[in-house]
Amino acid sequence: MNIIRKRMNLHEILEIRNLTESTFIIQFEKNGLEFTAGQHVCVGPPNGIHTREYSIYSAVNDPYIEILVKEVQNGLITPVLKKLKVGDSVVVEEPVGYFGLNGGEKLNKKYLFIATGTGISPFHSMVKSHPTLDYKIVHGVRSHIEGYEKEEYDKLRYTLCSSRDTSGNYIGRLTNYLQELQIDTDSEVYLCGNCNMIHDAYDILENKGIPNERIHAEVYF
Amino acid sequence: MKYYLMTLGCQMNMSDSERVASVLDAAGCVKVETEEEANIIGILACSVRQKAIDKVYNKISVWNKWKNKKNLITFISGCMLPTDKDRFLKLFDIVFTMPELPQLPHMLGEYGITNPLSLIAEPQSAVDEIKLFWKVKPKYDSSFEAFVPIQNGCNKFCTFCAVPYTRGREISRPSNEILQEVRELAEKGYKTITLLGQNVNSYGLDKNGQEISFAQLLEKVGQMGEEIDNEFWVYFTSPHPRDMTTDIFHTIAKYDCLGKQIHFPLQSGDEKVLIKMNRNHSVSKYRETMHALREILPQATVFTDIIVGFTDETDEQFENTRKVMEEFKYNMAYIAMYSPRPGAASYRWEDTVSLDEKKKRFAILSDELAKHTLEFNQTMIGKTVKVLVREHDRKEGYLSGHTGGKLVIRFKSDNESLIGQIIPLKITAAAKFSLEGELVFSEQLAVNNDQLTVSSN
Repeated sequence: MNIIRKRMNLHEILEIRNLTESTFIIQFEKNGLEFTAGQHVCVGPPNGIHTREYSIYSAVNDPYIEILVKEVQNGLITPVLKKLKVGDSVVVEEPVGYFGLNGGEKLNKKYLFIATGTGISPFHSMVKSHPTLDYKIVHGVRSHIEGYEKEEYDKLRYTLCSSRDTSGNYIGRLTNYLQELQIDTDSEVYLCGNCNMIHDAYDILENKGIPNERIHAEVYF
Repeated sequence: MKYYLMTLGCQMNMSDSERVASVLDAAGCVKVETEEEANIIGILACSVRQKAIDKVYNKISVWNKWKNKKNLITFISGCMLPTDKDRFLKLFDIVFTMPELPQLPHMLGEYGITNPLSLIAEPQSAVDEIKLFWKVKPKYDSSFEAFVPIQNGCNKFCTFCAVPYTRGREISRPSNEILQEVRELAEKGYKTITLLGQNVNSYGLDKNGQEISFAQLLEKVGQMGEEIDNEFWVYFTSPHPRDMTTDIFHTIAKYDCLGKQIHFPLQSGDEKVLIKMNRNHSVSKYRETMHALREILPQATVFTDIIVGFTDETDEQFENTRKVMEEFKYNMAYIAMYSPRPGAASYRWEDTVSLDEKKKRFAILSDELAKHTLEFNQTMIGKTVKVLVREHDRKEGYLSGHTGGKLVIRFKSDNESLIGQIIPLKITAAAKFSLEGELVFSEQLAVNNDQLTVSSN
């Protein structure tokens, strides 16, 4: 790799998948970056001075890195990222973060992944990085079109809660579904998405007897 | 050329400032005490605090007017957000990040100030830059207190803080360099040495096993303290609860030279606020670590940082913080009323708690703190403790300093030769945030006697 590109942390875009009008996946060169599933990277446009944190969507062994981006109207970064094309570059800083599956016995545990919107991203990485993981995903969205690449998950392990249309596996808010859900109290529970959902879900989980050391959260902002 | 440095912000910037002074001295420049005398004026900025940035804009506007009357070169470095850095490029002659410091003579050279240091090679990567920066020997401002940077940057991304965007990711300084700098300071007779980093106890984690851990680093410093005749105390700031391990406490307990004062930031005592702050630890994990700290280091004083009125903090959530303060009985708490900081993630959220409410919460926590500090300080009356004498007290005829546990203490004396010495004092009175003591021995004996066996609380 060219030294100047390396010094500027430039990674070439290899693929773009438009999932909805506002949500898309950018796949870019890995260039030797290593990460653990659940970590995030700071990504920004090539000529800008700003970056934003994005959870990594792809699996640890994929030969590229993917992020799932939702365009923010009048945002500083996402409208620019949306205009980029295959062959353009993005600035990528090294992966960091602590939102990951703990310990060596991760394959012997049960996991409940709870996400809203693009908060599904770290869970996609975890599931794809560890194919034998014993997991369940609860994904809260407004409309079924936000069930981003839901065919990637085992149907029996994935529940789409849609609050504004009737096409989800559960019709209603994610938190209502959680109230009704029977949760093994020995599960490790991971929450990712908007802060209000995380706070509401936290109360529900505590009331269901999940000790707070087994509740892990990453707020999207 | 005469230079003047203005340092804004935290201890990290003060430490950086010592290195900038060293580079300028080596380039043949002379430090002056006022900006009016200088031909080169530099600011070590702090983008983390809005007030500090406002000050930068005020100052540069004045200095740029001076350029009509005299030759003046201005530069800025320190903690800078990308947006601020972009603006500063238009206002200052030279803008550089701290890892680029070794290139400063070269940059000055472009303004016609030639010096032998302007010929050094350019680094090839950010890691190379910071390594070269650490090799710059600082010009310490004090003759008995020094800061030693051991780590730069932050991976934690707390939502209220802009540091990850101003200083980049965590990079640990090679331990051999740190130990050499600490040894040189201790052998020169420095009395306190503070190991600095944004997340000081995350030291070594970025090296994936290729560097020793923070506890191991402390162990080596502790061993050094056993070998060196001079008495000195080593502190560290600022740690993150996530990476605080009990082996750090066990190591501190083993060695006299490792200061028995732990800065242990809480920020909030409510689980949900901690999640919103993205602190990556829970109150229960903090409590567990705190219990271990009290058990392993019962003599240690514990300081903390707390933010009140963070976005959406409810009365109930604030009350949880107050209860945690009541439970842990801190010796000092740096309580801040939340204000959104440009560049931080929370800057994009509405600042929902009113200023009046923040002031109320601030006052409640300050009262809570004072209850415990007074109670603790009163238990100290009658004890003889070692004290580092630091300066003249505001009260005439008194000197002041701090104990090994960093409790502020003053005593009657106007003997300036005691400043910079560790001496025994008998505690005679206690207030909420300070102690008063008296000399145990004659002042001359106090200066010469370093074999006293007294508590260092």
